[in-house]
Amino acid sequence: MKIHQKGYLLITLSRSGSLWDYELIKRALHEYGESGAFREKTLNIALDELAAAGLVSRIEEKLEADGNHSRLRFRYKISDFGVSRMVDTGLLLP
Amino acid sequence: MANISTAARFQGAVSPDTSLKSALHRHYLRNQRWGFMWALWTAILWGAWYVPGTALWSEFPYVNIAADQQSLRLAATAVMTWIHAITVFLFLLLWNAVLGKVKDYGRTMVRFKTISKWYALASLCGGPLAIFGSYMAMGFIGPVFAAISSLFYPVIGAVIARLWYKEKISRRAAIGMCIIIFGGMIIYGPGLFGEMHASNPNAWLGYLGGIMSAIGWGTEGAVAARAMDVSDPDVGIHCRFSFEILFWGILILPALALFTELPIAELIMNTITHSKAMLWILLAAACHAYCYTAFYKSFSLIGVGRGEAIGNLYAVFALIFIAAFTLQFPQWYFVLGLIFTVLGSFVMFSESAESVANLRDVDAPGAH
Repeated sequence: MKIHQKGYLLITLSRSGSLWDYELIKRALHEYGESGAFREKTLNIALDELAAAGLVSRIEEKLEADGNHSRLRFRYKISDFGVSRMVDTGLLLP
Repeated sequence: MANISTAARFQGAVSPDTSLKSALHRHYLRNQRWGFMWALWTAILWGAWYVPGTALWSEFPYVNIAADQQSLRLAATAVMTWIHAITVFLFLLLWNAVLGKVKDYGRTMVRFKTISKWYALASLCGGPLAIFGSYMAMGFIGPVFAAISSLFYPVIGAVIARLWYKEKISRRAAIGMCIIIFGGMIIYGPGLFGEMHASNPNAWLGYLGGIMSAIGWGTEGAVAARAMDVSDPDVGIHCRFSFEILFWGILILPALALFTELPIAELIMNTITHSKAMLWILLAAACHAYCYTAFYKSFSLIGVGRGEAIGNLYAVFALIFIAAFTLQFPQWYFVLGLIFTVLGSFVMFSESAESVANLRDVDAPGAH
């Protein structure tokens, strides 16, 4: 059985060092065989929740043109607190 | 894909730094608004829940249980809570099916040792401890005392969240929380004088129940948030109710049926075969399912302390819904309490969005 999605986001980030949200989301969508704006938004919300809880840190941000609008993008990395929470919850070996 | 310089050209004279800063502010503000909106929905649906929740006691088989038959009343409460929890589970299944999260529910449930055990503990705190405690407070002292003691649960939740995983409680959030609790006490307080009797020898059981309900609900938020750090809130609430069904259905009700003379099986059969009782349970479960969903979703965006404090506005909505459906209008001091609770909510909401964007006091190198 695959790992739950928030767990996947944390594990992928911890293995990659740091990633932009769109890179991470692209990997997650591929992993779970999902697509579409709704699924993308769901994963973005999950990243917002992880950042609010202090498990991941936003280390860079930028605006990207998307049609007539600009979209805010974040580069994430796991925080020290995130590593310790991953160890607590079995997502990372101590 | 274009970077910030391209984006800045769309916005004419606005400098890239300014437009990035304002985009960041809008992002944090949106998250803060969603967090408070979910917490407000919690309060509205919690308030609405009191109408079918109270009406259920007027239907067979519950209407025949006299107020002084304490053990039978508690058994009936356990039965209705179990059937209610099963119905809530079905509503949550529908919710997660629409959101495409049913598979994630399975993936989270199976990780019991490391993740879903926290939801199991949260269900023990919110179910048997808080609800049972609340009914003890109602039964041995009175409903007003039960309502007042529950108002203190955000303080317990905020303190545990602060000590356990360093949730930031700003001065403004703490002041807002106190004003909301004060408003709730104004609403229910005057009714308390009619309930307190010095001659009541079992009053200590009521006080114990009041403490249990405040600790139960306060602890539930903090414990659930521990698991929600690494899992989805929609999935989390589904796990929490799955465990509540198991606790009542596998442990508590069979134990009551085996070791007491209480008619547990008869109560279950009489409830599920009686359409009016089931209709009220269905309505109560619809309110409760989405009330709890909103509750858990608010925790991950604005924190346990703020989510629970805004959730306390249920005190206001419960009286509004009861007045709307029964035409029993609250006393004049309700308006005063309403003013305080709304004021407290605005004090909390007036915190900067950036402050709410980071809920924990943790060292995050490189974090903004």
